[in-house]
Amino acid sequence: MFYVPVVFFVLFFAAPMALTVVWSVFERTQFWMEPGFTLFAYDNFFTSARAENYLFSMVHGAAAVAISFAIGFPIAVFIRRRVTRVAQHRVILLFILPFMISELVRVFAMRPVLGRHGIINSLLIDLGIISEPITAILFSPLGVIIGDVMSFLPFMIFAGFLALEAVQNYIFEVCDDLGTGRVRLFTHIILPLAAPGIFAGAVFIFVNSLGVALVPTLLGGPGAVNAGLIANQAIVALDFPLAMAISTIMVVTLVALLYIGHRLFDLTRILEPIS
Amino acid sequence: MTDPSDIAVEVADLSKNYGPVQALKSVSFSIESGRYYALLGPSGGGKTTLLRLIGGFLRPSAGRVYLHGQDVSHLPPDRRPTSMVFQNYALFPHMNVERNVSYGLKLLKAPAGEIRDKVERMLAMVGLEGYNRRMPHELSGGQQQRVQLARSLVLERDVLLLDEPLASLDAKLRKDMCLELKRIQEKVGITFIHVTHNQEEALTVADRIAIIADGELVEEGSARDIYETPEKRFTAEFIGDNNVLPGVVANLSDGRVTVDLGFASVDVASHGVAAATGDDVAVSVRSELLRIVDGEPDAAWQIMPATYVEAIYLGLTVSHLVRLPDGTEIVARVISGEANDGAFEAGKEIAVGWPGDRARLHVA
Repeated sequence: MFYVPVVFFVLFFAAPMALTVVWSVFERTQFWMEPGFTLFAYDNFFTSARAENYLFSMVHGAAAVAISFAIGFPIAVFIRRRVTRVAQHRVILLFILPFMISELVRVFAMRPVLGRHGIINSLLIDLGIISEPITAILFSPLGVIIGDVMSFLPFMIFAGFLALEAVQNYIFEVCDDLGTGRVRLFTHIILPLAAPGIFAGAVFIFVNSLGVALVPTLLGGPGAVNAGLIANQAIVALDFPLAMAISTIMVVTLVALLYIGHRLFDLTRILEPIS
Repeated sequence: MTDPSDIAVEVADLSKNYGPVQALKSVSFSIESGRYYALLGPSGGGKTTLLRLIGGFLRPSAGRVYLHGQDVSHLPPDRRPTSMVFQNYALFPHMNVERNVSYGLKLLKAPAGEIRDKVERMLAMVGLEGYNRRMPHELSGGQQQRVQLARSLVLERDVLLLDEPLASLDAKLRKDMCLELKRIQEKVGITFIHVTHNQEEALTVADRIAIIADGELVEEGSARDIYETPEKRFTAEFIGDNNVLPGVVANLSDGRVTVDLGFASVDVASHGVAAATGDDVAVSVRSELLRIVDGEPDAAWQIMPATYVEAIYLGLTVSHLVRLPDGTEIVARVISGEANDGAFEAGKEIAVGWPGDRARLHVA
């Protein structure tokens, strides 16, 4: 019985991962691939515009992470500090509700919000704040970032809240006693204690913004891509080794990020109550 | 007689409501400077609320808090000459011992050399020299509380507030820490206010004890007075191992009161307690002062008939359980190995009583 998790892990994580790496060095055939060893797919990736696009999508991902932190973490702090203990989990639940809606619908629904005649533009024009609609927020790189933030913001709220939930109220009272003040309470106490949670949330958002092809497809306009979309395009073009190579590069990126995060914050702490 | 400047803490008509719940009902008392003061009472009785009001962690619904004569009711915790030691888990988990203790001084922008000296001195005082680099999770519960103590004392504020500081420690460690706390208080000489629900802890550490229950100050006095001559019936029931017997005043004469218990009459000194004939009162006698009388009682003793139930061996003492004619069971305790520590036959008709003025009279 105790080997079920091991079997599960091998079957659904380790084996597909290994196959991805193996297939990425196979020879491409017209409709599939055949065993062999060639780095042609990697060469193809790094010498084409794909590498550049991949880097761009990493920059977009970083921007989405930064904005999500700026919006989501204060929400997490607010819920932990200002909402009564019994209501906290219900408030958190509210942020889960959007995940019950199909991602396609959720992302698509942002078009009438962000569009040229969308809710935001109409509102700003009606209020007299702008005279011409803002077109940079849809079918543009900014649109993709906005889409990523709207889609994945709850990850930052959850992860930040979970980290702060482990911090005893006594800690905040000690700060009152010592006269820590608001700013230093945030920089000296809250931020370091929530760091593992913030990092975990950041990784979720970054990986999703790199990999979820839907957001650039629906909100990005012509030529907008992210890593997930590049891989999709390779599959559509029946270039399976290339798709596998892109996936491998994404996995390597993720592992590198996790390694850095683990060295900085000791990610195992996320799962431990703070003593 | 007392110089007002010697009063470290004074609370006047202090009340705290949580919605319709009155956690504290107009409490007034004062604490002399340099005392080790315990707030003792059952859980939920309002003692922690009182401590938090003194420390500024709660705002009073009514009443005032004076520290050294200054009205501090409106000040936040860091602007009051108090510092708080919490129950547990109150160390900054991401800071080592030294950083935890020095943090408050760094906020005050004290010079680095001075901070280092003070931190070293404090760690020595609480017995944690050389623990500077340890993280909180590497310390035992007792060590964590010592660090908290150092973190508060290093601020050199006038009053230290301790909110159930030993509640999460095991019995043996709690005993050691009690003596340690008392030693430290004597050394630093500032006022300590210690909240606890554990009477042994309060008796060990405190010079003076206030009994807090049901949002009210029941009784206040020296540790010995509270234990030996409780004024209020609640105190008698809460502290020590008292037998409390309800009765009616039958006769009054010259500082002595005769109380009719229904099945027996006992004569107790009034000790200034005002009672009138016919009043409902209670008589308390501590179990270690109650004796089992097997045979002819001494005429000078107060005697009640009883039926022997059983003996319970508790190590240091043996508790003899006896049943009074009205059905209540009371306890007479003797030290194991001394006379009368053996059990009698269950159901044996005996008598219990006490010589002289060992019982106390309570009107409330």
